[in-house]
Amino acid sequence: MARDTDRLDPPMPRVERSWLPLLPERGKISAFEIALLALCVALIAAELPQSLRDVMLLTYLWGGLALAWNIAGGYAGLISFGHAAFFGIGAYTSTILGVNYEITPWIGIWVGAAISGVFGALLTLICARLRGPFFILSTLAASEVVRIGALNWATLTGGPEGLAIRPVPSVLNMVFASKTTYAILMLGYLVAIYLITKVIERSRYGFYLGAIRDDEDAASSAGINPLFIRVSAMCLSALLTSVGGSLFAQYFLYLDPTHVISPELSFQFALLPALGGLGTAIGPVLGAFAITPLSELLRSYLGDAAAGLHLAIYGAVVIVVMLYFPGGMAAALERLRPRRRAEPA
Amino acid sequence: MRNWSRRGIITFAAAVLALTAADTRAQEPIRIGVLLPLTGPFTKNGTEHWEAMQIARDMINERGGVNGRKVELLVADVPSPAAAISDTERLISTQKIKITTGSGLSPLAIAVSQASERAGVFHWETTGAAEIITRRGFKYTFQVGGASRLYAQAAVNFTLEDLAKRLGKSPTDLRIALLWENRAFGKSVGDGVRDYVKTKNIKLIYDEGYDQFATDMTPIVQKLKDVKPDVLIAISFPNDAILFQRKAKELDFYVGALVGVSAGYSNPDLENSIGSVVYGIFDSDFLPKVNPKVLKPEVAQAFDEYNRRYEAKMKRPPAGHASVSFSALWALFNEVFPKAKTFEPDELRQIALSLDLPEGSLANGSGIKFTNNDWAPDLKDAGQNLRAAIGVWQWQKVNGRTEHNPVFPKSLATNEPTLVPLPAWDKR
Amino acid sequence: MLTTTGQLIVSGVLIGSIYALMSVGLTLIFGVLRIVNFAHGEFLMMAMYGAWLGTRYLGLNAYTAAIAVVPAMFLFGTIVHRLIISPSLDKPHLVVVFATMGLSILMQNVALMIMSADLWDVPPMLGGRSFTFGPFYAKPELLIGFAVSLMVTFILRWIIKTTYLGKAIRATVQDGEAAMLMGIPVPRIFLITFASGSALVGLAACTMMPLFSVFPTVGLNFVLIAFVIVVLGGMGSIEGALLGGICIGIAQSLSSYFIAPAYGQMFFFSLFLLVLIFRPSGLLGQKGTANLGINP
Repeated sequence: MARDTDRLDPPMPRVERSWLPLLPERGKISAFEIALLALCVALIAAELPQSLRDVMLLTYLWGGLALAWNIAGGYAGLISFGHAAFFGIGAYTSTILGVNYEITPWIGIWVGAAISGVFGALLTLICARLRGPFFILSTLAASEVVRIGALNWATLTGGPEGLAIRPVPSVLNMVFASKTTYAILMLGYLVAIYLITKVIERSRYGFYLGAIRDDEDAASSAGINPLFIRVSAMCLSALLTSVGGSLFAQYFLYLDPTHVISPELSFQFALLPALGGLGTAIGPVLGAFAITPLSELLRSYLGDAAAGLHLAIYGAVVIVVMLYFPGGMAAALERLRPRRRAEPA
Repeated sequence: MRNWSRRGIITFAAAVLALTAADTRAQEPIRIGVLLPLTGPFTKNGTEHWEAMQIARDMINERGGVNGRKVELLVADVPSPAAAISDTERLISTQKIKITTGSGLSPLAIAVSQASERAGVFHWETTGAAEIITRRGFKYTFQVGGASRLYAQAAVNFTLEDLAKRLGKSPTDLRIALLWENRAFGKSVGDGVRDYVKTKNIKLIYDEGYDQFATDMTPIVQKLKDVKPDVLIAISFPNDAILFQRKAKELDFYVGALVGVSAGYSNPDLENSIGSVVYGIFDSDFLPKVNPKVLKPEVAQAFDEYNRRYEAKMKRPPAGHASVSFSALWALFNEVFPKAKTFEPDELRQIALSLDLPEGSLANGSGIKFTNNDWAPDLKDAGQNLRAAIGVWQWQKVNGRTEHNPVFPKSLATNEPTLVPLPAWDKR
Repeated sequence: MLTTTGQLIVSGVLIGSIYALMSVGLTLIFGVLRIVNFAHGEFLMMAMYGAWLGTRYLGLNAYTAAIAVVPAMFLFGTIVHRLIISPSLDKPHLVVVFATMGLSILMQNVALMIMSADLWDVPPMLGGRSFTFGPFYAKPELLIGFAVSLMVTFILRWIIKTTYLGKAIRATVQDGEAAMLMGIPVPRIFLITFASGSALVGLAACTMMPLFSVFPTVGLNFVLIAFVIVVLGGMGSIEGALLGGICIGIAQSLSSYFIAPAYGQMFFFSLFLLVLIFRPSGLLGQKGTANLGINP
C-alpha cells in the first residue's frame, strides 16, 4: 500500500499546536517567558538584601524602558538617541504636578505620557523626510533642546538644582516605604509593555511596522501610509517611556536635568534592546536583565580597582555583540530552538 | 584581714568591675560609613576628603578613641549620583551602619543623604552645599559645611566692605558683575548673590549664567568688557575658569578684582593651567586655615597636627574642602559622640540639635548651630549649620611659594589682600 | 556697538574655522562611506591626549606634535576601520551606529582609567599677547588654527579634484559598484578615507590643544558641534564643513551675546533641527542625501 512518506511533498510546516511553544515566538507567549516571569515574581517575594532589591527593581524598570524604545526602534526601525527627552518629560511632569499642584502622580503620570506622546508624534512629523543617521541626529538634537530648556526654565523645573519629592510614604503620592512595592510596580510596568508588544506583534499594525522598516517604498506601494506608521509608533514609544520616567521619579525622589535628560541615558535606552535583540519582545528584556545587574556588580567589584573599567568592558561588549551577534541575545536564544523536520499533514 | 578595710575591698571590687565592663565595651568600635567619590570624574576631590577623614580617625584613636571606643571608618565609592543611592544602601545594609558621612559634592550629597534618610541613618554631611539638602523634610541629615547662600554672602560682603574701599569707591557706586555656571552649585550661589545684593539696594550691572559645556567665552568676555565692572564675582568650574581667563587675557578684559566662588577658582591645579595670572584672584570658599587666635587652643593644636600629617602624606597643603571634612569629623568625635550612649540615630539627632557652639569651635573657624524648622527665612529648613565659616581667601605669592591666604572676614584672616586693583595683563 | 559686533564676528569666524577643521574628517567619512562615526568626539579626545603627551614627554609644542599625532591617528583609524567599520559596512546601518557608540564608551573610559579625570593643558608658548587689527583682538593660536583650516580645505579640494586618488574617491562616491568594475579598489578607498578622516581629527586636535584643556569627556563638548556643522554644511562637502563651521561660530557668538549665553547651545540645536527639517542636505550638500539616508 502507498505510504504517505513515499510522496515527494514540499516540507509542510508543523501543525499549529494549541499548547505553549518552548521558546519565544513572535506573537505568542512561550514557556520560557512564563518561567522568566515566575522568576521575577519569586525574586520580589524573596528576602533579598536591600541593595539587591534595588538592583532588581531598576532592572525591571529598564526592561520596560528598553521595550518601550524597541517599539519604535526595533520594530519600526526608528532608531532614536533622544528618548531621554520623553523619559524626562514624564518624570518632570508628574513631579511638578505632584509637588507644586498637589495632583497625585497616579494621574500625573498620564498627563506626562500625553505630553510626551504629542511631542514624539510632532517630532516625527517634522522630521518625516529624514532617514538613517539624519533621523538619529535629529532625535539627539531634540533631546538636547529639551534638556537645555529644563535646565534654564528654573521657575518650572527647579533648574540645575532639580526637584525633590518628599520621602513621606503615602499611597496617594505614590511614595512607598518598601522596595517590594516599587518592585511590583516596576514589574507591572514591564509586563504591561511586554504584553502591548506581543499584541502589536500579532496584529496587522505589527506587520506594517516591519514593512516600513524593511522597505518603505515597497510598503508604501502596497498601500501602507508610512508617515502614519512612523508617527504612531514613535508616539506610543514616547508615551510608554514617559510612564517609566514618572515611575523612576517616584522611586528616586530627586530629578535634575543633567542626569535625567542626558544623551548617556538615551544611549542606554537604545543599547539595551540592541544587545538583547531588536525587533523581538524578549530581546530588550534579556538585554536589561543581563546588563543592569552586570553593570551594578562590575561597578561594585571593579569600580574600586580602576575608574571606568566596568564601562570600558561594557563598551567593548557592545562592539563585539554588534559585530558578531547582531541579532543580540534573542538570536542566540533562537539557536537553541529544536529544529523542525518536515512532517506529513 | 585588718589592712583591707571594707571600703577598700568594695572600692577595689568596683574598680575591677568597672574596668572589665569598660573593657568589653571598648572592644566595640564606633562604625561610621563614609561615602566619597574615589573613582570617576570627582576622584581628586574625593581622595582629598578621604585623606583628611582618615587623619581625623587616626588622631582620635591615638587619643584613646571616644570614651574608650575606637572609631572605625568604612568607606564606599560613590562615583556618580546615579550610583550613590545603591552604593550607599549597600554599605548601610551589608555593614549594618547607623552613622554615615560624606560626600564630596552637592549632587552626591543629595543622593547619599536620601539613601541614608530612607534607611533611618544619621548622616553628617561635611561639604555638600546645595540648599535643597536640608529642605526635604529629612530628620537625620545634618549639613555641617556651609549652604551655598553663605558663599554668596561672603563674596558680596567682602566686595562691599573691603574691595570697595581699596578700589576707591563707595559700595553703592561699585559696579559689580555676576557670572555663574548653570549647574546646581553655580546657580544656587548666583541666586544667593542676587538676592543678597538686593537686600542692600545694590543692582548688579551684569548677571548671566552660561552652560557648563561652553567652548567659546568670547561673547561673555565681550559683554563684560562693554559693561566695565569694578568687581566680577564668578562661579565657574575648572574647565570654564581656564577658558574664561584665557579669553579675558586674549581680549584684554580688565577688572579691578575677581572674586571666584569655590570650584574652579579654588582648584590648586588652576595654577598649572593659567600660570602666574592666578595671583590676585580671590576665592569665596572654606578657608584653608584661619587666624589661630580665634580658635579654641585644643582645636588649633589639632588643626596644626592635621596640617602636618596631611602635608607629610600628600606632599602639599590640604585643600580647603578637605579641611572642612577634618573639622566636621573632629567636631563629631569631640562634641557629639562623647555625649552619646547608644549611638542610635535618634539620640545623635537630639545631641546635634542641642549643639550651640560659637565660631572658632571647629578647626576651620566654624561654629555649630543647626536649624530645626525654626529658621525664619525658610521654616522647611532643618539640619543646616548657620554658623559655618565661609570666607574669602586669595591666591598669593609669598617668598616664591603659592599660598592660599584667608583675607576675610577680618576675625579669621591671616593676611591682607594684595594686588587690588589687579595689574594689567602684561604685568601679571 | 559696531566694534563689539565686529569682535564677535571675528572671534566667531576664527573659532568656527577650528570647529570646521575638527568636522572635516567626519564629513569626508560620511561622504564616502556613508556612515556617521559616533566615536568622532573620542577620536578628537585621544588625539588631544596624544598632543599633550607629545608636549610633555617629547619636548614638542602642540603644533610640532602633529608630526607624531597625525600619523598615529592615521594608524589608529586604519585599525578601527579594519576591526569595526569594515565588517559593519555590509550589515544594516544600525550595526555601525551601535558599534561606534560602543567604541565611544570604550575610549572614554580607557582614557579615564589611564589619564584620570583631571584637566591637562599644554604650556602657553606664543607669548600670550593677542594680535590687534584696529579695534579687534585675535589670539595667535586662533589665527594659526584658522590658517591651518583654510589650508586643509584647499589641499583636500585639490586632492579630490586633481589627483588620481581624488578621482577614485569621487568615483566610489558616485557609484561604488561601477568603480569596482573600473578597477578601483573600493575597500582600499574606504580604508584610506576613514584613516584620513582620523588623521584630520589628529591635526585638528593639535591646533585645539593650545586653546582647550583635555579630559576624558572633552569629546562630548565638541562632537555635537561637529554633527551640526557637518549637517549644516552638507554631509560629504569639504567646503561645506568650512562654511558650516564659520556659520556656527558666528551664530554662537552673536546669539550668546545678544540673547543669553545659557541658551547658546539651545540656539544652535534649534538651528540644527531647522536645517534638518527644511534643508537636510545642508548648504553645499547634494540634494536628496538625507532622504536616502543609508542603504539598509
